[in-house]
Amino acid sequence: MWTIPKPRYRRCEEDEPEITVNIGGVRVVLFGDVLNRYPESRLAELVNCSSARNDELISSLCDDFDPGRKEFYFDRDPDAFKCIMDVYYFDEIHIKRGICPICFIKEMEFWKIDQSVLDECCKSYLSEKEGELKEIASKVKVILDDMEVNQNATRIQQCQRFLWRLMEKPGSSFPARVIAIASFLSILVSAVVMCVGTIPDLQVTDAEGKLVEHPTLEAIETACMMWFTAEYLLRLASSPNKLHFVLSFMNIIDFMAIIPFYVVLSLTYLGTTSMMELANVQQAVQALRIMRIARIFKLARHSSGLQTLTYALKRSLKELGLLLMYMGVGIFVFSALGYTMEQSHPETLFRSIPQSFWWAIITMTTVGYGDIYPKTTLGKCNAAKVLETAAKHEVELMELKSVGEHRRKDSDNDDT
Amino acid sequence: MEKSLAEFTKTGSQSTSSLPPEPVDIIRSKSCFRRVRLNVGGLPHEVLWRTLDRLPRTRLGKLQDCNSHESLMEVCDDYNLEENEYFFDRHPGAFTSILNFYRTGKLHMMEEMCALSFSQELDYWGIDEIYLESCCQARYHQKKEQMNEELKREADNLKDREGEEFDNTFCVEKRKKLWDLLEKPSSSVAAKILAITSILFIVLSTIALSLNTLPELQDKDEFGQPTDNPQLAHVEAVCIAWFTMEYLLRFLSSPNKWKFFKGPLNVIDLLAILPYYVTIFLTESNKSVLQFQNVRRVVQIFRIMRILRILKLARHSTGLQSLGFTLRRSYNELGLLILFLAMGIMIFSSLVFFAEKDEEDTKFKSIPASFWWATITMTTVGYGDIYPKTLLGKIVGGLCCIAGVLVIALPIPIIVNNFSEFYKEQKRQEKALKRREALERAKRNGSIVSMNLKEAFARSAELMDVVVEKNERPQDNHLSPNRWKWTPKRATSETSSNRSINTQHLGSPNKGRNSSPQKLNVQKLEEMYTQMAKTQSQPNLNAKDRGSRVGKQRDEIELGAIQDHHPSTLGTREGVGDMKSLSSIDSYISCATDFQENPRYPHSTQVDLCHSNSPAITSSQHSAAKTGHQTSGAPMLAPVTVSKPPCSENSRKFLFARNASRSLFSKGGCRNDKDPGPSPLSDSSVLSDHSLLSPEVSVYTTASSRTPPKSPESTALAPTVFTFHDSSISKYIDADTDDDEHMRDISDASPTDRLLSDSSPKRSININYQRGTNHLEAAHKILGQNCLFPLEGICGVPHENHVGPEMGRRQKGRHNTLDKSH
Repeated sequence: MWTIPKPRYRRCEEDEPEITVNIGGVRVVLFGDVLNRYPESRLAELVNCSSARNDELISSLCDDFDPGRKEFYFDRDPDAFKCIMDVYYFDEIHIKRGICPICFIKEMEFWKIDQSVLDECCKSYLSEKEGELKEIASKVKVILDDMEVNQNATRIQQCQRFLWRLMEKPGSSFPARVIAIASFLSILVSAVVMCVGTIPDLQVTDAEGKLVEHPTLEAIETACMMWFTAEYLLRLASSPNKLHFVLSFMNIIDFMAIIPFYVVLSLTYLGTTSMMELANVQQAVQALRIMRIARIFKLARHSSGLQTLTYALKRSLKELGLLLMYMGVGIFVFSALGYTMEQSHPETLFRSIPQSFWWAIITMTTVGYGDIYPKTTLGKCNAAKVLETAAKHEVELMELKSVGEHRRKDSDNDDT
Repeated sequence: MEKSLAEFTKTGSQSTSSLPPEPVDIIRSKSCFRRVRLNVGGLPHEVLWRTLDRLPRTRLGKLQDCNSHESLMEVCDDYNLEENEYFFDRHPGAFTSILNFYRTGKLHMMEEMCALSFSQELDYWGIDEIYLESCCQARYHQKKEQMNEELKREADNLKDREGEEFDNTFCVEKRKKLWDLLEKPSSSVAAKILAITSILFIVLSTIALSLNTLPELQDKDEFGQPTDNPQLAHVEAVCIAWFTMEYLLRFLSSPNKWKFFKGPLNVIDLLAILPYYVTIFLTESNKSVLQFQNVRRVVQIFRIMRILRILKLARHSTGLQSLGFTLRRSYNELGLLILFLAMGIMIFSSLVFFAEKDEEDTKFKSIPASFWWATITMTTVGYGDIYPKTLLGKIVGGLCCIAGVLVIALPIPIIVNNFSEFYKEQKRQEKALKRREALERAKRNGSIVSMNLKEAFARSAELMDVVVEKNERPQDNHLSPNRWKWTPKRATSETSSNRSINTQHLGSPNKGRNSSPQKLNVQKLEEMYTQMAKTQSQPNLNAKDRGSRVGKQRDEIELGAIQDHHPSTLGTREGVGDMKSLSSIDSYISCATDFQENPRYPHSTQVDLCHSNSPAITSSQHSAAKTGHQTSGAPMLAPVTVSKPPCSENSRKFLFARNASRSLFSKGGCRNDKDPGPSPLSDSSVLSDHSLLSPEVSVYTTASSRTPPKSPESTALAPTVFTFHDSSISKYIDADTDDDEHMRDISDASPTDRLLSDSSPKRSININYQRGTNHLEAAHKILGQNCLFPLEGICGVPHENHVGPEMGRRQKGRHNTLDKSH
């Protein structure tokens, strides 16, 4: 039972409409001139029609009307109304702490008050909440889309759907799980084969006396590549949206892992048929071998942790860039300083500034191989300074980490 | 009337201090007010009945349904019909958000609210937590899970503590003392000294172990191989002896041998001792044998295992224990760290291999060879035994350094977090332990009263039972002669309802309910059935149809009103119709099926019998089965007549009976699935509803006789019109009913229980009736004679209050006994 204090002198001048409203049990006396500041609002309309004695309109505006007491009843939240009342007096609304902003907006809509009167501080709060909700809703939608089974789909579509679930959703069925594990193992095997193939003891000499990979390893490699290709093609065939599939990050990695093998094959074919210079072919093959490393990234498909890592890195790209910039500046400064200070020493290891870049990087990341190190006292002081900056970087990194951790927590929440 | 009013104002809330009102008055009060005042913990709220009706299964939804004092008192804690106020002794803060759920269809949680207490409130008000909006859901569930976890851990701790109970085998006292001495260093000074000695021995033995490997201190044996220094061997022997003794004493004194054997700390102890004995055994048994070299190798391995004794320190340091716990708990993150590192190593070692392999005299000979470099670089150790020399290699190396720093930095905080959490947890636990000790001490001293409500309630229910049985006769005697006619029924209904409370709380199954009374009644029932079947069945059906039609009509009126109220939200008339049809067809199919089942119910004899006189049967059945005071149900059947339009006296009687049966069933009746009793009873309650309504219904029927007869489905549609400020609420309500329906289907598919549920036609008709009267104009038109226009004043119908003083006193007496037993 609270009333808004009102200057007395105005009552003497004219008898303006005065209404009593009961909002969910809380009774408030309001004055027409105050309410008419927002003529579109529900209460202002109510004042206008109560003076016009339009019963039908009144009952459309409020939930109940007590003509004896001239009291209008609204079946709404009284707490939210207390906040909304502020708009008539102060032209702005603040959401009371404890009221959900989404809920509050609904109340505002009921009282027909525009959202623009909401104060900035609360607006940011609202938009934050709305963003959160939207994220959740989109995730739920994805899940629901997955769940929904279209009964009247054609046989081909059903097949496609089945295949898609088999390949993309390891949790959906036992065979899907088996396929996921097989895929994971094949990635590991191919990576191991790639590494082992470079050990000189395991290599064999070919006809021209060059070291090439062991034939068994080659066979395993081919088998793995076959598996990868089959997997990729099946995925592509079963995907509902082909373009989207081809352009997605994970599938680009898959593609990169497969393509070198086939390029090498075609190149060697071209080389043997002497369409191209053999030396050129071999150089190209060498270059493409490096691209095999891409297959390790395929592991990311099977590990949520790795996905989170990439997500965290993507999210904190700005911070990462900042860190690299600091590092670049530090490297420049300290390598230049180190070079100038060490120049006096006769047996200096700092022969040029670009060479001392290497020293700066190794020192700043606290690796310290010891291939290049300062010999003069000044240079050693410089190194100490480098380490000091490195420590600062560590602190920065901690902040970066917290970002990553935050992300991970979020994703954990989503999982649960 | 003036007197009674005065009484009410004097005494305030009437249920405890004054007389219980007649059900008719309750109904009238409800029908006269469009709104209701809810006083929750002192905070007044005002809400439309219509709003509460949106969720009929909840506590507030049931409030509208309660037409008797008993059922009202079950739902709320106190009420005042004059003020139209109902009191609930609950937390007012949570109720605000719960009431808003009725209004908006969105359940939000107050931010400052504790999740656990909110969940309790939700339980009390009968709202499922799945309605919680997604913005508040995360917070709610997070908190709840956290609390549940903590509670579980605490319970485990408690169990551990209790698990240390010593069984009564030999020398319990001494073993307990020994156990305390060895396991709890803080229990006494001696135990503390023992613990410190143990630590010293561990340190000593580790020092001896490392000194043993110094070449200066080693001796040469006959084969020229270095062996242990004899002095150090003695030290080692002494230490091992101490460890062995300690372990054995612990083992002997432990209350649970197998658990002791399995404990991780004890496994470590065992591993610290065993290698020594194995070494001795191997050397002694193989002295003569020539294959000494092999044995030596084995012995060397066991020698390395001696270093495990350093882990024995973990017993004496909580920090080490929490480290172990942290590693165990964050093995996920550790795995992640290793995976990151492995991937980085793989990538960078192959990159650096391709960059460096053409260099002269390179150390990056193969990818596995460069693994070492990559590992040392990524962990920022940097020995400098291998380093890249080409420009490309150096670029790769630089990237490797930065990537290593990043990759290692990312998962570490999680592990750190786990560690700190565990550490905090341990500290908290210590404090909690102290608090609990203090509490227990206080309990023993008697300064704290047990607050276990469940226990207290069960006890009180027991007491109440006894009191009721003793007082039944005297209570009856208190009644005035004009009431006497109805007392047996009244009494039985009360006792039986109390019984059902009792059984519910004590959890005892209602055995023998359907044994004797059924048999007793069968013959008479059948006779009556043959008579009644002709006269009754047709009118009954008519009545049903009539009632439903009336409901329909009322709803149509309501619909128009709604539309007028909310043109902005509801839009056009078609919109309303759509919504109505949607929600009704989707969610009230259950009603429809129930309704259809009624006429062709298989046990037709019983059904129809009970159509005629079920209330009495219910009470008699139960009373006979339970108490045995009523030997036969037959006399109870006599006064009940249904088909005629009842006079006011009759209707009241029916009310009593109906309430009795209903309260009975809402509590205990559902339990007996195989009991044929409930099925007719619930049917009968439908009927009694009709008869109860009949004075008013008759008005309806004359008015609505022109409307064509409708199918059962249409009747089921009747209660489904809600006024939504937000169309999404329909979804909620759908979910509500659907869920409940499923649950019921799973738990018990018998039609009886479905009939008993709120979606039964009985209820729907009731709603219609009340809603119709709740509406202003309709109420005015139909109830015209008694009900004042609510707009003109709050106190609508005080004058029709038929509460007799005798009745009330009796009721009150019963309540007092209840209170006392509390």
